[in-house]
Amino acid sequence: MLVTLSSALEQGFLYCFMVLGVYITFRVLDFPDLTVDGSMALGASVCAVLIVNGVSPFLATLAGTVSGAGAGVATGFIHILLKSDSSDTNYGPKLISGILTTTALYTINLRIMGRSNIPLLGEVTFFDKIGSFVRVQMRHWPLVLALLILAVIVKYIVDWLLHTDLGLSMRAIGDNEQMIRSLAVNTSFTRVIGLAVANSLVALTGALVAQQQGYTDIGMSVGVLVAGLAGVILGEAIFGVRSISWVLFSVIGGSLVYRILIALGLRVDWIKPTDLKLLTALFVMIALGAPVIRKKVMKS
Amino acid sequence: MTETCAVPAPAGPAAGFECRDIRKTFFRNSAFEIRALCGVDLSVNPGDFVTIIGSNGAGKSTLLNVIAGTFPLDGGTLLLDGEDISGLPEHKRAAYIGRVFQDPRAGTAPSLTIEENMCIALRRGKRRGLALGVNSARRQVVRENLCLVEMGLENRLKIQVAKLSGGQRQAMSLLMATIAEPRLLLLDEHTAALDPKVAATTMELTDRIVTARGLTTLMVTHNMELALEHGNRLIMMHGGRIILDVGADEKKELTVPGLVQKFRDVAGESFATDRMLLD
Repeated sequence: MLVTLSSALEQGFLYCFMVLGVYITFRVLDFPDLTVDGSMALGASVCAVLIVNGVSPFLATLAGTVSGAGAGVATGFIHILLKSDSSDTNYGPKLISGILTTTALYTINLRIMGRSNIPLLGEVTFFDKIGSFVRVQMRHWPLVLALLILAVIVKYIVDWLLHTDLGLSMRAIGDNEQMIRSLAVNTSFTRVIGLAVANSLVALTGALVAQQQGYTDIGMSVGVLVAGLAGVILGEAIFGVRSISWVLFSVIGGSLVYRILIALGLRVDWIKPTDLKLLTALFVMIALGAPVIRKKVMKS
Repeated sequence: MTETCAVPAPAGPAAGFECRDIRKTFFRNSAFEIRALCGVDLSVNPGDFVTIIGSNGAGKSTLLNVIAGTFPLDGGTLLLDGEDISGLPEHKRAAYIGRVFQDPRAGTAPSLTIEENMCIALRRGKRRGLALGVNSARRQVVRENLCLVEMGLENRLKIQVAKLSGGQRQAMSLLMATIAEPRLLLLDEHTAALDPKVAATTMELTDRIVTARGLTTLMVTHNMELALEHGNRLIMMHGGRIILDVGADEKKELTVPGLVQKFRDVAGESFATDRMLLD
């Protein structure tokens, strides 16, 4: 049971960066960004290829993370290209730009890896390096602790960023785009930066997951966006949204709760691991749909 | 306290603003073609407070929108301080132009706090980099500005703007439009959505800020009384043109019936049929 808990927390912390990224796009920028499914695998591919080629795992992880920013920039520019004018806030162009990037990334990721998967068994990873530094084997609870520390560091970086002049503009874009444009902010450009930040967080998860599980696979990030949404929704519902600094902790908490729920789900006999995507999709549908249905019922 | 509540004096001279032959047509070459602006010429002296009235479809809001750059011009030139701004996109013009909308929700970001909103406004026209958005120096400026509106907002800096009333949000919008001292202030029926008492306070605040900062201001309104009471020049639009231009001295003498009579004389149609203008 404890081992299950530690591995659920491990997963929760590994994926919390992705959940933070999804939070930034969906909530902060009001941009339903579908790039996530591609940028996570991109981070993993870049990181894995570099490690296999002898690059330091720290540098490889950093490169993987930065590659995600590139994916975000691509989506941002495609969005600028597709939207009808500067004040177009429709979701259509936002969704399509993410879909296009993700589709393109499938090819790009295969090109980067040269095949559909790269095993990292026997390679020295980010976690091995940290483990040898503190002389602890990075498995189970020590790994959870290391990831916790990394999550807190990243949380505070994101928190700081969202409180800078640039960050305030990003938050205002999702809140009231007309207003922030009338205060002389180039919303297109600022949104591109926001997407870059969000997708670099997603790619960080990709790079870390690849190293933790010991391989990267072209299909590893399929449906990860919905898992991210589930984390955001759970976090907001359970831990609250009282301020931006608080809500960043909330969504990390949401990521943990989501992975614990999954671990519990897998203990049920008739649920197969392959059922999880369906269950997650149903959960997100109910969570997003319940308030809408409640409103409709109240009206009638 | 009274001292901190004084509006700071302007940093530089207010701008002169000029429209030359401004034209705008919507849905061009379709059955729905609307010629919203058919050659508007307007020259505004630095520090002038111009009120613009006209019925629905007269082109007043379109005029403000093309000045702000919300939609592109079809023809004509906009000069701010003698500088041609016609080609600049909306966000670049916004570095010089402050704006308050009719909807009190339009001017503020609801999920951000009062001080965050104000600090965003403080950075109008400046680089927005990785410096903290709210710091103690900026907070002090924000506080001084907020106490102008006498709503106690300066003591609620960390409250989310979503929790404020429409009147409070509109007062904030006005402060946010003016805090960075724009060269031109556009007010688009900014009191029309407020209840009469709040509208009166908001207008009083508007007068105070515009006068103290010497801001060049264009205010669109449906309300003739409002247009006569405020500002030092009145412009009436009809059918996408300026049909009446009343200077400060003449404006002081003018009454609502007098204005209606003037409209009849100029436009040759009955003003009374236009309900919107008389509300």
